[in-house]
Amino acid sequence: MAVAPLPPVAQPISRVDGKLKVTGTARYAAEFTLPNLVYGQLIQSTIANGRVVSIDSQLAKWAPGVIGILTRENAPAFKPYPDQQTKKGGPGESRVPLQDDEVHWVGQHLGVIIADTFENAQQAASLVRVQYAATSPLLAMDSPAAEKESWLPEYVFARDKLQNSRGDVESALASAPTRIDATYTTPIENHNPIETYSTLAVWETPDRLLIHEATRGIKQLQKIVANAFSLPVGNVRIISPFVGGAFGSKGFQWSHTLLTAAAARLVNRPVKLTFTRPQMFDSAGQRAHTSQAVSLAANGDAKLVALRHSTTTHCSPVSEYLESCGLSSRMLYSCANVQVSHRLVRLNLTTPCPMRAPGEAPGVFALECAMDELAYKLSIDPVELRLRNYAETDENEKRPWTSKHLRECYERGAKIFGWAKRNPQPNATRANDGTRVGWGMATAVYPANQQTAAAKATLTSNGEIVIRSATHEIGTGTYTTMSQLAASALGLPIETIRFELGDSDFPEAPNNGGSWQTASVGPAVLGVCGELKKQMFDAASKVLGGAPPDQMELIKGFVRVKNEPSRSVSLRELRARAGLPWIEAEFKADPNKEEREKFSFYSFGAIFVEVRVDDFGQTRVNRIASVYDAGRILNPKLAQSQIMSGNLFGIGMALMEETIPDATIGRNVNANLAEYHLPVCADVPAFEIDFINEPDPHLPDLGARGIGEIGIVGAPAAVANAIFHATGKRVRDLPITPDKLI
Amino acid sequence: MNPFAYSRASDPAQAISGVAGQQDAKFLGGGTNLIDLMKMGVETPAQLIDINRLPLTKIEELPGGKGVRVGALVRNSDMAEHPLITSRYPLLSQAVLAGASPQLRNLATTGGNLLQRTRCYYFYDPAFPACNKRKPGSGCGAIDGFNRIHAILGQSDQCIATHPSDMCVAMAALDAVVRVQGPKGEREIAFADFHRLPGNTPDQDTNLAHDELITAVDLPMMPFAKRSHYLKVRDRASYAFALVSVAAILDLDGQNIRSARIALGGVAHKPWRALKAEKAVAGKTAGEQVFQSAAEAELSDAKGYKYNSFKIELAKRAIVRALNTVATIA
Repeated sequence: MAVAPLPPVAQPISRVDGKLKVTGTARYAAEFTLPNLVYGQLIQSTIANGRVVSIDSQLAKWAPGVIGILTRENAPAFKPYPDQQTKKGGPGESRVPLQDDEVHWVGQHLGVIIADTFENAQQAASLVRVQYAATSPLLAMDSPAAEKESWLPEYVFARDKLQNSRGDVESALASAPTRIDATYTTPIENHNPIETYSTLAVWETPDRLLIHEATRGIKQLQKIVANAFSLPVGNVRIISPFVGGAFGSKGFQWSHTLLTAAAARLVNRPVKLTFTRPQMFDSAGQRAHTSQAVSLAANGDAKLVALRHSTTTHCSPVSEYLESCGLSSRMLYSCANVQVSHRLVRLNLTTPCPMRAPGEAPGVFALECAMDELAYKLSIDPVELRLRNYAETDENEKRPWTSKHLRECYERGAKIFGWAKRNPQPNATRANDGTRVGWGMATAVYPANQQTAAAKATLTSNGEIVIRSATHEIGTGTYTTMSQLAASALGLPIETIRFELGDSDFPEAPNNGGSWQTASVGPAVLGVCGELKKQMFDAASKVLGGAPPDQMELIKGFVRVKNEPSRSVSLRELRARAGLPWIEAEFKADPNKEEREKFSFYSFGAIFVEVRVDDFGQTRVNRIASVYDAGRILNPKLAQSQIMSGNLFGIGMALMEETIPDATIGRNVNANLAEYHLPVCADVPAFEIDFINEPDPHLPDLGARGIGEIGIVGAPAAVANAIFHATGKRVRDLPITPDKLI
Repeated sequence: MNPFAYSRASDPAQAISGVAGQQDAKFLGGGTNLIDLMKMGVETPAQLIDINRLPLTKIEELPGGKGVRVGALVRNSDMAEHPLITSRYPLLSQAVLAGASPQLRNLATTGGNLLQRTRCYYFYDPAFPACNKRKPGSGCGAIDGFNRIHAILGQSDQCIATHPSDMCVAMAALDAVVRVQGPKGEREIAFADFHRLPGNTPDQDTNLAHDELITAVDLPMMPFAKRSHYLKVRDRASYAFALVSVAAILDLDGQNIRSARIALGGVAHKPWRALKAEKAVAGKTAGEQVFQSAAEAELSDAKGYKYNSFKIELAKRAIVRALNTVATIA
């Protein structure tokens, strides 16, 4: 079903839930409450490796307000997570909590204190004394011991192959006239949404569990919890109408949800467990540290003849998820000889998991800095180097793109930015205040994924159309975009549509991730609206004396026969007058497998950055011009916001973000927002963001590809390249803080 | 957070008698540092005496043109915008506005700013076993740990934490005087004597007695203080502690330097009065070379660690830039 982009699609509509959010009436997981609610607080390990010998909770037991203490001694026997979730590089922990005495990192959950208030629970948790049999932990990737603990895994996400090669890289590198070899490193980074993780669990009956959770994976969590407690899936209900940011956190299997549910069963009352900010750094995922060796070689025409990208990164003792840095290097440029490899080291650190553009964000940083270095070595403009190596097809998969307008992204971005005026000489441009001025650019890329999703549409007795899908609003604007799509498909004003999400009782939708939410749920919403319309016309046909359904039209509040305005029935009365128990439709949208095998689906972009670097090594990003080819843009206002936040995320990655575990103890030293630096308002540059806005012809329903992650991809490299241009100093180790520049 | 009793004092004497003889009682001002430390379990007072209702909220001129008195409960935001401060001590206004965030400045008090604890990852998290400041005799986690934000001047083998205040760096340069009241009456403490270097007792950040209450900070008349500059180097544009900061004042006669007042932040356990640099510029003609040798002199004893050695060069550059900036103020 091809839908023309009728209004309100493509309109810059403000968020339909904006008022709820700014007035504080949008309800987030930690804001739900229930009668008899009590509070949980985690007991966490303080060593990074070893065993728990004993947990002394006597003091905690008699602390004010304490109602119960959950430890391994009284924990339920959780069923292990199913293999398909945890093997072959599946993200999340592979170990259910409290079933053994092993300790694998600092902050691992050893139990839960349950008390009448959050504060009492926290105070009691601080009184618990744990005896350990400690073993020395492995905390760094570059030690010989770590080398022994490393291997070359085959898959990540049970989907993407991690070791790839084509052609003969070694000979091509050896014989090329120009080559660069450099190693780039990125640190551990943590998701820091304003809303921390929060779970409220209540056993409605001995075998029915209701959970309010900050999650972007309600259907996945429902299955995880049901499996762990050996319950039928339908006996677990997850509710999550608003999520205060996720960025890769709040999906997959983490122990706090199971622990909260077990705590609720233990005390037979609803229990709420909300993470503190420090717990965001050690309890449920982070981006791993990466070290990436990149070699590029070019011939006399500045054409790439060899590309080698070798990544070393780490997982925890209870996961095999890997930051897949090299995947984009397989397809971003035309090159006959390519080798991509990934090595994984087990360290005693918090379990890594996806964080916004997992793999691509650090991986494209390395590749796009290396391209910049190569451009200097070849004395050629960085944009020109990319154009000379433009990939007309996906040389990795050996198939065409669905559509690719990257060339226009470079051209338009360069024009907006004024790139043509760039003096190629590094360390040569000064601003009026004497600071060094640098211009840098990079390519952005992100796969255009789609997953199966379903939706249900109902005509209510007050004439409203309610559409439901078990998807999520993580701050990206799902309520708005889906309402726009429905309004567009039905030809009705957006005010007459109510889109509901965040309830596992609703029809299937995937985790929000992989930038696939709009491309997945959107077709389901369009499909279900088509079905509902058909049913409404059939019903109207009965009411209106057999008028043919294909002669009907929907207008605000009515179905009527085209060109016969007097023959109409109101949506309020339609169901009753047609004598129907309900008017509703369900629709499931699957990705087109054939098309997915024939074509490569990607979004592309180009980002241009101006930085100012002063004598103290302080870098401020002054302005950014970025242009993206992400198919059709459904809501330019929301799309601009998404890209702006992604670019800003990239500034944070380039200049500030770094989680620092103490090198001997393994405990994070800066697990707070004062010392884990994210960009603040004063760090926000001037933005000019533009979209090619050409519908993807191989996504016929929507024409839209995702934009959740591509904004961060390339941004750190563009900043680093601009810093080189400003100072003549090539910093290959993120974040680029003042100490690395003076 | 440890449970604690809370009471509110209505006059200074009552507040002082509330903590006198009670080692685990503390005054509560804006709470922007104390409450954080209580949440982390670093501070565990059994009793908080709220002093927010005490009449110490004025900024007023001292009689006889002796300067300006800032009440201990003046909020940082109010001080930064007060005409007596912006007109006579612009350095102080700049320093305060360079610190924290607007929300914090709206709550934080003058006295509380003086009393914020030194900043160190290993001090702020009781789960780290070694910290001589938190647990005397337990060792220092930072010396061999991650010490990027730590001290390069005046530290000891017991402690290398830094004082995080911006306001105090300006006050140190302005020769401020801290007025305190105790059970036996009032006394004045010169700013340079208020904060301590760690030595063998890093658990004591200041020379204020437990039962003494800061009532005000006096800023002496310093007409040449209009020619001043506060320079702060940090990891992001706002809401970040100083890697290095410089408060600089020059008393100039044309381009001849009669005297200078220079203080550094982010480099020591206390706001660091740069006396060597001051001496090096006094009587000289303002200029890059003079400033450079002053910076070299000040940092000659500096000692860096694995992650913070960059601060030595950074401090030198910052001193030179700050002095250059002041010298060119019309």
